[in-house]
Amino acid sequence: MAFSSALVLTDLNDYIAPSQACIKPVEIEKSEDQGPTEIKVDQGGDYYEISKDGGESKLEKASITLNDCLACSGCVTSAESVLITMQSQEELYEILKTNRLAIEQNDPSQHRTIVISISPQSRASLAAKYNMEPLQVHKRLVYFFKHHLGAHHVFDTSFSRDLSLVESAREFVERFRRYMANGGDKMEAALQRQDIEKQQEAEDGKRRPRARRRAAAAKNEDGEESSTQQDMPMLASSCPGWVCYAEKTHGHIIPHISAAKSPQQMMGTLVKDYLATKTNTSPSAIYHVSVMPCYDKKLEASRPDFFLEQFNTREVDCVLTTGEIEKMFGEQNLQFDQLPEADIDDMFNKTVTNSEMQMAFGTTGSSSGGYLEYILRTAARELFNIHDVPADPSSESSNNARVIVKTGKNADVREYFLQGDDGRILLRFATAFGFRNIQNIVRKVKSGKCSYHYVEVMACPGGCVNGGGQLLNPNSEEVMSAKDWVSRVESVYQTVPGVSPEENEVLKEIYNEWIGDPSSERAHTLLRTQYHAVTQNLENPLATKW
Amino acid sequence: MPRLELVASLEGHQDRVWQAIWHPSKTILATCSGDKTVRLWAPASHSDMSNWQCINTLEGGHKRTIRSVAWSPSGHEMATASFDATTGIWEHDQRDNDWECVATLEGHENEIKSVAWSSSGQLLATCSRDKSVWIWEVETDNDFECLSVLQEHSQDVKMVAWHPHQEILASASYDDTIKIWREDDDDWYCSDTLQGHTSTVWALDFDASGDHIVSASDDQTLRIWKMYKPNNAQGIPTPSNDPTYRTVCTLSGYHGRCIYSVSWSKVNNHIASASGDNTIRVFTQTAGGDEPSWEAVATIKDAHGVHDINNVTWFPTQQHGDWLATAGDDGVARIWRLVEDE
Repeated sequence: MAFSSALVLTDLNDYIAPSQACIKPVEIEKSEDQGPTEIKVDQGGDYYEISKDGGESKLEKASITLNDCLACSGCVTSAESVLITMQSQEELYEILKTNRLAIEQNDPSQHRTIVISISPQSRASLAAKYNMEPLQVHKRLVYFFKHHLGAHHVFDTSFSRDLSLVESAREFVERFRRYMANGGDKMEAALQRQDIEKQQEAEDGKRRPRARRRAAAAKNEDGEESSTQQDMPMLASSCPGWVCYAEKTHGHIIPHISAAKSPQQMMGTLVKDYLATKTNTSPSAIYHVSVMPCYDKKLEASRPDFFLEQFNTREVDCVLTTGEIEKMFGEQNLQFDQLPEADIDDMFNKTVTNSEMQMAFGTTGSSSGGYLEYILRTAARELFNIHDVPADPSSESSNNARVIVKTGKNADVREYFLQGDDGRILLRFATAFGFRNIQNIVRKVKSGKCSYHYVEVMACPGGCVNGGGQLLNPNSEEVMSAKDWVSRVESVYQTVPGVSPEENEVLKEIYNEWIGDPSSERAHTLLRTQYHAVTQNLENPLATKW
Repeated sequence: MPRLELVASLEGHQDRVWQAIWHPSKTILATCSGDKTVRLWAPASHSDMSNWQCINTLEGGHKRTIRSVAWSPSGHEMATASFDATTGIWEHDQRDNDWECVATLEGHENEIKSVAWSSSGQLLATCSRDKSVWIWEVETDNDFECLSVLQEHSQDVKMVAWHPHQEILASASYDDTIKIWREDDDDWYCSDTLQGHTSTVWALDFDASGDHIVSASDDQTLRIWKMYKPNNAQGIPTPSNDPTYRTVCTLSGYHGRCIYSVSWSKVNNHIASASGDNTIRVFTQTAGGDEPSWEAVATIKDAHGVHDINNVTWFPTQQHGDWLATAGDDGVARIWRLVEDE
C-alpha cells in the first residue's frame, strides 16, 4: 500500500509481483473461436497477431504513463523510476541547451521562455537546512536560475496561492448558500440544538443514555435522515496526493472536493494564459517549471485536465522537488550557501521593496497554504457579517471567543468552531493531515455523519513542509529527531509574515484585467478544474488475485 | 502421558471453517467460514457435552469469506474480518437473542486476515494482505476511529494479537518477521522486529503474563520468545529503550508441514499447535528461566481427516481449561479434551 506521503524516489526492485490490480483499465477484445494464434514481432518492434488463416493484425501497444503509475499502488512494470525521471532536471537542462543553440543559430522558433515557480515550502526547507532566511533563499534561487542557468523569470507560488484561496473561499460561500437553501438550514438547527443539549447535560452532570438509542431518538424527532447532499463538507483540493487517492479509492467523495485549482496550477494558468497573452508568446513557447515539496505535484502537473489542447502544451511542464534542485546545485558545482543574491524583480512574487529593503510575504495559517483560516474568515464575513475572526485562530495570542479551536486525537486533526454572538455554532471546520485522519473523514462523509462544513485535507502528516520531496533531516537522530526537524522547517516557514489576498494589489489588478467577472464561465474555466473517479476494469488479465 | 480425546464435532458450515474462537466467559464457540457466515455453538445441555447445536448464525454482513472472528472482552460484541476488505462489528441484542451488524470498517485495500480486540475492549486491530496493520479505537454510538495505519511489514500480514493486559500489539507476516507495536504520544510505532523464522509466520499467541510469545511458521517450527526489559540482568541490549524479545526455545521436528495456528493456554500454560500435516500437538513446559524446555505430550493425527487444520484455540477459563477447539478445511469444528492419565 503506497500513500503519497510515503512516495519517495528509491531504488526499485526490478521485479514487482502483480499482487495488486493495475488500475489502468486494459480492454482486450476477445473474439470467439479464433483458435490458436501466433505473435510475430517485426524489425520495427511492432507486434502482430497472426490468425490461423494467415491474416495479420497489428496489436496495440499497451502504454502506461506517469499519470497512471503514480496513482497506482501496485505497478506492473518497474519502469516507474524511468517515468519519474521524465520530469526531472535532465529535461530542464535539455531545454536550456536548446535555448543556447537557438540563440547561437539565431533561430527564435527553437527558443523557449523559461519560467520557474518556487513554492514557499521548498524555500523554507532550503532555509532550514542552510540556516538562512526564506528571503535569502529566494534571492539565491533567483541568481541560480536566472543568472547562472539562464531562465527568464522566477516566480513565487505564494502569489498564485492568493488566487487559489480567493477562488476556494468563493466556492465555499456558493456551496454553503446552496446547502442552506436545500434543507441545510434544518440540519444546522438540529445540530445546534444537539450542541446545546450536550452542553446542558455536561453541566448537569447527567449520564448520557446509551448512545445508540439516543441517535435513533434524535432521528425520529427531527425526521431528518443523515445527510445525503453533496455540497457539505467541502474538502480541500490543493493536495494531489489526497485527490489521486480519492479518485482511485473513494469516488463517492469527489463531489465534495473543491473545484478551485491548486497554487501550482493557478500559476500554470497565470503563466500560460495571462503572461503568454501579455508578452505575445505562444503558450507552447513557454517552459514552466515548478519547485515543489513532493512528488505528487508531478502527477498533478501531468493531469489531462491541465493540458492545453489548443496549444499542445501543459500548464506546468515540469515539477522538480526541493531535493532535486538541491542536486542541481551539486551538478553545477555550486555551493548553495555561497551563491550571491539577486534581486527579485519578477511580477508574480509576494515581495515588497521599500527603499533598499526587500521583504517576502506569505499567507497566514498552516504550511499547507492557510486554506482553512482564509475560508473561515471570508465565510464569516460573507455569510454572517462577522468581521472579527482572527487571521490565525489557533495561535495563542488570538482572541478565542469567536473561534473555538480543539485539537483532536493527534496534532494533525483540529477542529475550528465559529461562534455567533448568541453562542450558536455557525461554522464547523477541521484539518485532517495524514492517512489515518483522512480515513476518519472519508468514513464520516460516507456514512453521512460528517458535521463539518470545510475540511483542509492534506496527505502528509505535519502539512506540506513535511512533503516527500523536501530536504531530509541533515542532523543525526540524537541531535535533532525527525519530528523536531519538521517543526523547525515549519517555524522557518512561519517567519514569513502573512498578507491576505485582499491586500495583494498586484493580483487584484491582474484579476480585474484578466478575468473580470468572477462568476463568469471564463473565470470557471481558468480557475477551476474537475476530478474523475478511477473505475477498475475487472476483466483485466494482468490482475492476479491470490 | 496425557492424550487428546474428541468431545464433539460441530457440522453445519457449507465451506471450510477458518477459526473456532471461544466466548471470553461462557461456553459458546464462534466459528467463521468460507461460507461467509459466523455460527455460534453451545452444548444442548450442561450434562451432555458431546451434543452441540448452532444457536445463532451471523450472516449477510460480508460478501466474501470471513477469515477471522474475535469476541470483545465483554462478550457482547464481535468483530469479523473478511476477504471483502471490510471488518464487521456485530452487537448482541439480549432481548431478541439476535446479532446485528452495527458497523462496517473500511479502508484496507484487500483481504483482511485477522482481527483482534485489546484486553480493555477499547482498541481493535486488523491486518491485511495489503501489508498494513490498522488500529481502531472504539467510540460511543458504534463509531470506530482509525488511530493509526502501520505499514512497516514488507509482505502480507497474517495475524495480529494483543498483549493480555497492556495495549501492546504483535503482528505476524509473510515477510518472516513478527513486529511489536506500541503507542507513543499520538502515534503507534514498531518497537521491535522479531527475526528468526525462515519462512512465513502464520500465527502467534501470548502467554498468560504477556512476557512470552509463541509463534508458528511455515518453516515447520514453533518459537518461544521471551521479553527482556531495558537494563535487564542478562545484558540483552534494548535499543530505543523499549523491551525487546529474543528466541529462548525452538520446537522443531514435530510437524512435517506448515504450522498454521498456535494457542497458549492461559489456564494450564500448555501450548497447542495445528498444522498442514493434519496433526494437533500439545506441548508442556518442563523447564523455565532463560533456557526453557518444552516437551510434546499429546498428539492427534488426522484430526480433521485429510484436511488442513486452520486454527486451534484453548478454552480461556478454568471452567473447561482442558478443552481445545479446532477448525478444519473439512467444514467441521471439533472440540477436544486433554485427558491427563494417572
